[in-house]
Amino acid sequence: MVGLVVVSHSWALARAAVALASEMLHGRAVRIEIAAGLDEHTFGTDATRIVTAVQDADAGDGVVVLMDLGSAVLSAELALDLLDDGARDRVVLCPAPLVEGLVVAAVAAATGASRDEVAAEAAGALAGKQSHFAAPPPEPAAPAAGSAGGPTAAFTVTGPHGLHARPAARLVAQARSHDARLELRNRTTGSPWVSAASLSRVATLGALQGHELEVRATGAQAQEAVDHLLVLAASGFGEHTQDAVAPPAPRRPAGAGVPASPGIGVGPVWHDRGAPVVVPAETSRGAETEWRRIGDAVAAVRRAVQRVRADTARVAGDAEADVFDAHLLLLDDPELVGDVRARVDGGEAAAPAWAAAVERIAAEFAGLGDDYLQARAADVRAVGDQVLRALTGAPAAAPDGEGVLVAEDLTPADAAALDPARVAGVLLAYGSATSHAAILARARGIPAVAGLGAGITAVPAGTVVALDGATGRVVVDPAPDELAAFTAAAAEQGRRRGRALERAASPAATRDGVAVAVGANVGSVRDAEQAAAAGADLAGLVRTEFLFLDRSRAPEVDEQADVYRRIAAALGGRRITLRTLDVGGDKPLRYAPGPAEANPYLGVRGIRLSAAHPRLFAAQLRAVVRVAHETPVSVMFPMVATVAELLRARQALAEAVRAEGRGEPAGLLVGVMVEVPAAALKAAAFGRHADFLSVGTNDLTQYALAAERGNPALAGLADPFDPGVLRLVGHACRAAGVPVTVCGELAADERAAAVLTGLGVRGLSVAPGAVPLVKEAVRAVDLAVAGPRAQAALDADDADGVRALFA
Amino acid sequence: MTDADVVDTAVLTAWVRHFARLVAEHAEELTALDAAIGDADHGTNMDRGLTAVVAALDGEPPAGAAALLKRVGMTLVSTVGGASGPLYGTAFLRMATAAGDRPALDPAGFAAALRAGLDGVAARGRAEPGDKTLCDAYAPAVDALDEALAAGRPLGEALVAAHAAAERGRDATTPMTARKGRASYLGERSAGHQDPGATSLALMFQAAAAAVR
Repeated sequence: MVGLVVVSHSWALARAAVALASEMLHGRAVRIEIAAGLDEHTFGTDATRIVTAVQDADAGDGVVVLMDLGSAVLSAELALDLLDDGARDRVVLCPAPLVEGLVVAAVAAATGASRDEVAAEAAGALAGKQSHFAAPPPEPAAPAAGSAGGPTAAFTVTGPHGLHARPAARLVAQARSHDARLELRNRTTGSPWVSAASLSRVATLGALQGHELEVRATGAQAQEAVDHLLVLAASGFGEHTQDAVAPPAPRRPAGAGVPASPGIGVGPVWHDRGAPVVVPAETSRGAETEWRRIGDAVAAVRRAVQRVRADTARVAGDAEADVFDAHLLLLDDPELVGDVRARVDGGEAAAPAWAAAVERIAAEFAGLGDDYLQARAADVRAVGDQVLRALTGAPAAAPDGEGVLVAEDLTPADAAALDPARVAGVLLAYGSATSHAAILARARGIPAVAGLGAGITAVPAGTVVALDGATGRVVVDPAPDELAAFTAAAAEQGRRRGRALERAASPAATRDGVAVAVGANVGSVRDAEQAAAAGADLAGLVRTEFLFLDRSRAPEVDEQADVYRRIAAALGGRRITLRTLDVGGDKPLRYAPGPAEANPYLGVRGIRLSAAHPRLFAAQLRAVVRVAHETPVSVMFPMVATVAELLRARQALAEAVRAEGRGEPAGLLVGVMVEVPAAALKAAAFGRHADFLSVGTNDLTQYALAAERGNPALAGLADPFDPGVLRLVGHACRAAGVPVTVCGELAADERAAAVLTGLGVRGLSVAPGAVPLVKEAVRAVDLAVAGPRAQAALDADDADGVRALFA
Repeated sequence: MTDADVVDTAVLTAWVRHFARLVAEHAEELTALDAAIGDADHGTNMDRGLTAVVAALDGEPPAGAAALLKRVGMTLVSTVGGASGPLYGTAFLRMATAAGDRPALDPAGFAAALRAGLDGVAARGRAEPGDKTLCDAYAPAVDALDEALAAGRPLGEALVAAHAAAERGRDATTPMTARKGRASYLGERSAGHQDPGATSLALMFQAAAAAVR
């Protein structure tokens, strides 16, 4: 009788497969040997074990070997090399899928079939499953239109903008995640079939709201791919609500838009029209060289886009950052990459080849009739230009002008580059108060109104406009009295801000003389420079993540220490509060891999990630200790939930102090971030083991209310003024026995100064630009009033009730 | 150190030990690269295998070059676990066969053994150039080695050239789309990531250049 050998990466999988096959044997004896795993728990295959298993299974009639994948195949082949000639000739390696093949092979072997017959039977084992799925579905969702007998279906596009960039990106990402060739066709327009794996091809479908799309698939996971696509389509491609994505209906340019960044701006219009990149007339230095240049440039731009994506996710939430996923998909779009490759192979140099391929695809978008899709041609050109700049070394084009900037929308990079001294205001055709451009404009103190409709871009350059970013009111070419009113309001606002700026560098105390340190949250050396200019008393939060993200290996101790040192220097030696690495499964680090998590916000992040990667943590703590010998440093640990975590982190810090060998740094303070509600309630215990507590209101709010901030469907729920959140803050202040500070966005709300100081908070840390006004807000607080009022706020019904108390 | 024109068991041992050290130092990086396009175990697997190899070399000294290379190959085959086990294992076993019964190898003999290793790996993995595998670093390395030796340069220098070629080959894997191994399941998404196997292979030549200085 023929013997069988099961080769698998997993011992457990092999055991279970053998058990399944044995059920079919009803007691008939078939020799099945297992060569699987390096041991019971370690995945891997071992050629020498396969040799032994083959020898054990061979009773003279030979052996059929079934394998799972990858190294199992290679190791089995190598095992054949290691066998002596006679034994080798009696072994057949069978390409059947492991489970199906083993079941069939066991039955065949039990009937006394030869090894070639057993192998042939096993190799056909997949036929049953294949024919099952090749048959028409029992309840046909669509007329069969499949080319190769694969599954087909149809769905209707429900989103208000059709299959625009973001849903198309989701569709493409999902299509690519299956081992199947998935194609789409717009039945309504009668378009040709296109590959669902190509964002540029999918966009050519011109799929608008109400259009019916057909889908067909072939390949191993064809059915799964179609099923998942239908689920995705039924969910509206993950767009939370219509309101969340709908650009506002076109309005008259004079009127109201969405208030995006408070403040009054008056000035002449200028438009953001980036200078085109000149494509150099270069000749190819060989296809491989040119192709490598393109690979390098694309990789550099991918890193840049990922950085912007991470920044946007940080300040504006993941929903807003998702649009950059479309940009990333464009960078490795098979249609684009294939075209470029063909041009490079045909002898074109990198830059001309790239430019031509981008232009072809952009032109296809532009020819698509629909406004929204035409605007996507701009996306393609923008991403294409980024790569061209990387290829040619041309400097990045940032919008530059004086007065009121008018644009369709701004990228975060553009918004972050605006100079508040020259830009009086920003008017956007699209976008919303929560868009990246709006949030960054607020951070830079530039008044902005968004969602004005495409008409606003038609206002000629030089026309005077006035805008109120707090109300969304915009007046084009205002009448003299209107202009006077705006100018007067702007002047009053300017005076107020001027007063704040004048006193920004002085410490802030409440009217009754209680000092409140106002620090800045910084995420780069540049932020630290801005913080110093804005009069920050300290860096109340240094987000060290920027040193760790988007790179292939962790920063060394020296590199980290150098950056921390430069941040301290930029702040003129004022105290810096270094928060240790705070990332999780939503921003995986390539050099600190962890398992995929269903819910990364409740997973291995913050101190938990540092605990799982002790070498990474130790290096960061050594950098902290090294700099703490030179300048005042506080260190704090994020996402702490238990006292044991804090004690372990302190232990690691003590080891770093020993390793540096210069004793305990004199000014080093150790703090705990209070983001987990349980930590707020255990403030007394934490206070016994820490020098200070720092409340991160952003995370505390979303954990306390179980509502993600970035989810537009839950807008308003994750409100840090919620009395439940304030109770947690108040408890921490009462119980801690050490100073409690707040470093979330709440601290930047001028109304919050009274609430928080009333609860007992004695330090606030905010975006650099907000420091002067927050100091002014602190100076306006009378604790004799604010204290009792804050206590009353704890009993309010809701956040609006709290605001009413402090109005 | 003097320029070795005899690759004996001492040189081979130094090579393999240094390779093990380099892999241990780069284990996290290799695993991170593999995490991007594979099953995130290349660094761990290679480190486990080469640690076992070093332990095996600590035992009774092998009789000659072939015995040493065979011991390395067999140890890798049964301790690495992933696809790099049979691939690197095959490379060293083929080197052992090429070494024959000579106690030590001359430069040309060492180069021929390394090429036999490449041929074995390519055949085992059915890899073609451009498939984004370790062969994309291995092939240019042995080409450069042969070329430098043919130009009359000493083995140490020739291995430095081979290492440089391996690194260029490794870097060139980044834009490639994987057509072999688990990374090929990612299709186009594998482009933009450096191949982990090509990365460890470049370390193998780095170690060789260091051992024969």
